[in-house]
Amino acid sequence: MDEITIEVCVGTPCYLMGARELLDDMQKLESESEGKIKVKTSHCIDDRCEKAPVVRVNGEVYQDITPDKLRKIVSAKL
Amino acid sequence: MAANPISEVVKIKRKIYIELARQVLEGTIEDKIQSIPYKIVRKKDERYRCCIHKERAIVKERIKLALGFDPQLHKQEAPADLLTKRGEEDCCANTVNVIELACDSCPIDKYTVTDSCRNCVAHKCVNVCPVDAIITIQNKAFIDQKKCIECGRCKKACPYGAINENIRPCVRACSVDALSSNSERKAFINYNKCIDCGSCIQACPFGAISDSTELVKICRALKDKDDKLTALLAPSFVGQFGAKVEPATIKSALKEIGFDKVIEVGLGADLTAVEEKKELSEKLNKEEFLLSSCCPSFKKLVINEYKELIKNISHTFSPMVKTAQRVKKESENKTVFIGPCIAKKAEACLYTSVNHVLTFEELLCIMVAADLNLAAYCDQEAVQDATKYGRQFAYSGGLSEVMQELTEAKLETVNGNGLEQCIEVLDKVLEGESEFDFMEGMACHGGCAGGPSVINKPQVTKKLVQLFAEEANLKKAEYNEFTA
Repeated sequence: MDEITIEVCVGTPCYLMGARELLDDMQKLESESEGKIKVKTSHCIDDRCEKAPVVRVNGEVYQDITPDKLRKIVSAKL
Repeated sequence: MAANPISEVVKIKRKIYIELARQVLEGTIEDKIQSIPYKIVRKKDERYRCCIHKERAIVKERIKLALGFDPQLHKQEAPADLLTKRGEEDCCANTVNVIELACDSCPIDKYTVTDSCRNCVAHKCVNVCPVDAIITIQNKAFIDQKKCIECGRCKKACPYGAINENIRPCVRACSVDALSSNSERKAFINYNKCIDCGSCIQACPFGAISDSTELVKICRALKDKDDKLTALLAPSFVGQFGAKVEPATIKSALKEIGFDKVIEVGLGADLTAVEEKKELSEKLNKEEFLLSSCCPSFKKLVINEYKELIKNISHTFSPMVKTAQRVKKESENKTVFIGPCIAKKAEACLYTSVNHVLTFEELLCIMVAADLNLAAYCDQEAVQDATKYGRQFAYSGGLSEVMQELTEAKLETVNGNGLEQCIEVLDKVLEGESEFDFMEGMACHGGCAGGPSVINKPQVTKKLVQLFAEEANLKKAEYNEFTA
């Protein structure tokens, strides 16, 4: 199975709209994934600050995301 | 209180603040303010209320509050009308406000029977009710609300769990019984009891209770530059502005958005500690105890509910006020306290030295509006105004530790960590069942690090604050040159 790379934007607009919670949750997922999931942070993804928070999963950008929604996206790829 | 979970309610509030701040900073607010409700609530967005018009009307009420006006007193005016009333803001009216239009008038009947009722033969609910309020109608138990005394025995007795206990989230959250409902079943705050803790604001899932804010006023000051502003950073600021944003970065960024000077409130905390220690010694000589005064909600709790203990409250000014007084001694600058706290907005109104109060949340909204991305911001300016001990004021237990550090003899200290604990301790004091030398009372769980407007988790903040405290050049509060 391919590795999943999740980039969480921690720029100020995303941080204010819940990036910290996203990052906490994804890091938890990373530690449980036995190496299948890699979590990185980014300073800005695609200039989509108006639709914060923004993440990139395997190159695809998701905006206005929540930890619950992101978990569903990630598990669909696992 | 835990760190703000990012609910839709919180997001909407922040989006409105960002938009308002941006328009003020860009100088377009006079022309564009009426567009904000349309920008925040778009046609294609998910609906939470009956219709798009109501959602937009609620946004307008929130804008009024952000402009510094009580929406209840200005029902007929549009936000644009209020823009022309600069200088007439309802400053210091109330810190915690009900936005009546947003209040969903939740049911007020405490116990109701749900569809799970089987109309069983044993009908324990009917038997257990001390006032015969339960009868059977249409094959189902029914509670006569006129008779019900809300004892809850029926709920406990029902083997199906068919009786629902309903308490409004705002009422449940309030530790001092300040919340009730008015004749239209809208939330109603008794300001003689409210201690500005902000619990109801966090609890309401409709966002119908909100704190007053000086956001627009401060953005105008940052833009117009008529007055120079000094930012007073509360000890819990460390780690509130992003995963790896350091204190030195925050200081630089504050200057970038227009603040003239930045000072740690930890400095005022050092001053408070040294003075409060003297006060404690005097109390101990008289075989009395001392209650801390730096948390305004705790202080208000004692004043409102424990009148016999008012004499025990410390008279020392809080770190916010001490720091502001220090700034005023040295400059003509206006002071802006930046912290995790809503109650500080009310406390600031009592002192001329503190001109404005912003929360971390509000400051971050201004930074976003100013297009300042702290994660990618490189400038730094060292923060070094406070000692290790002043910095420790950020979390529950920190103040007690300082008092012990400054006292040679072993102190009996008690920490009221959160309102519930504070109430428990104070009750015991009155009952004569608790004896101590010093009580640190913090309305928020975790201390200021757990305040209503924090962005980071209280446990994480505590760790970061401790690291930052260890970095302090001066290790003893008494050694801060200003305390001398």
